[in-house]
Amino acid sequence: MALRLLWASRVASHLRISVAQRGFASAVLKDLKYADSHEWVKIEGNKATFGITDHAQDHLGDVVYVELPELGHSVSQGKSFGAVESVKATSDINSPVSGTVVEVNKELTESPGLVNSSPYEQGWIVKVELSDAGEAEKLMDSDKYSKFCEEEDAKH
Amino acid sequence: MRSPRILEVWRLGTVNYLKFLKIQDKLVSERKAHQIPDTLLSLEHPPTYTLGKRRTDHNLLIPQSQLTKIGAELHYTQRGGDITFHGPHQAILYPIISLRSIGFGARNYVETLERSMIEFASMYGVKARPGNKCETGVWVGDRKIGAIGVRISSGITCHGLAFNIDPDLNYFEHIVPCGIADKEVTSLRRETDALLPSEEVIHKQLITCLAKAFSYDDVLWKEDPSVILDTQR
Repeated sequence: MALRLLWASRVASHLRISVAQRGFASAVLKDLKYADSHEWVKIEGNKATFGITDHAQDHLGDVVYVELPELGHSVSQGKSFGAVESVKATSDINSPVSGTVVEVNKELTESPGLVNSSPYEQGWIVKVELSDAGEAEKLMDSDKYSKFCEEEDAKH
Repeated sequence: MRSPRILEVWRLGTVNYLKFLKIQDKLVSERKAHQIPDTLLSLEHPPTYTLGKRRTDHNLLIPQSQLTKIGAELHYTQRGGDITFHGPHQAILYPIISLRSIGFGARNYVETLERSMIEFASMYGVKARPGNKCETGVWVGDRKIGAIGVRISSGITCHGLAFNIDPDLNYFEHIVPCGIADKEVTSLRRETDALLPSEEVIHKQLITCLAKAFSYDDVLWKEDPSVILDTQR
């Protein structure tokens, strides 16, 4: 737990985001976009890579299984495309953008825990070819998403 | 001032598993569309084995062809967790609730389900504990008394928990329960000498423990189960 806080603080100070006072602060990276169902997306031209956020993996618990979509599968913004299992719960994951699946992270089949230990890097889930680049406008930037997470966590 | 949180509870008696799945699908859609409030189904199943999304049927130790001989059915589901058994005298609660309105993720949700069962067990002097890592559920020592397997879709929960009041534990011999070998399954009947009241009373107590654990302001006991059991509507 202490190591995670240290990591979060280092990432936060590097990216100049303030770490919340509540103890564990989920890391939010500046150059990504975020959906309100806690998925992140990195857009590069007409390709996008996405996964679930640090906030999401913390709230899930240890991931033991990731259900990946097939290559060529169509995904739609806001719709479920796969699931993860943790603590005897399967949680749907929604696609933050619309497009066609061109690559999935096969490492997650053997090492689903990468979603927990490296949600933004080795724990990426899907790469798609975008069908509507304009859709990214509907997503949150890092500041909005940080605030969104704080508001959600304040509910209990 | 926030609006009060209400839980609507339907007590349905014994419901066949496939019929329950139809009811659940309908309620989940209605909850997602904000047509109904947070809802809880309280029921029992006839002897039924169920598998989770990972389809771990290697944990069924008898051939599927033998199941009718022992009077049981087998169903595949989309819930998390491994293989389990449901049967008479096992109290099942299926919460269909919104986690987003309380800012809960899977971990908080499951931990609160565990706490509900632990609190309930303590009413009979049974000291239960949550599972260790990878052993989600409720245990008395090394014996499992309560199981959990849930699904969360768009922040709405389905499936739920099963607490062993006094089921026929022999049915568990035909599976590796929850995929955990060499651990026993137990029941409230086995763990306490206390006089157990009627199952209706027991179910109500378990429901009340859950409602308290999730901080509901009020529980609305729905009187007419036929409203929900009629899935043709």
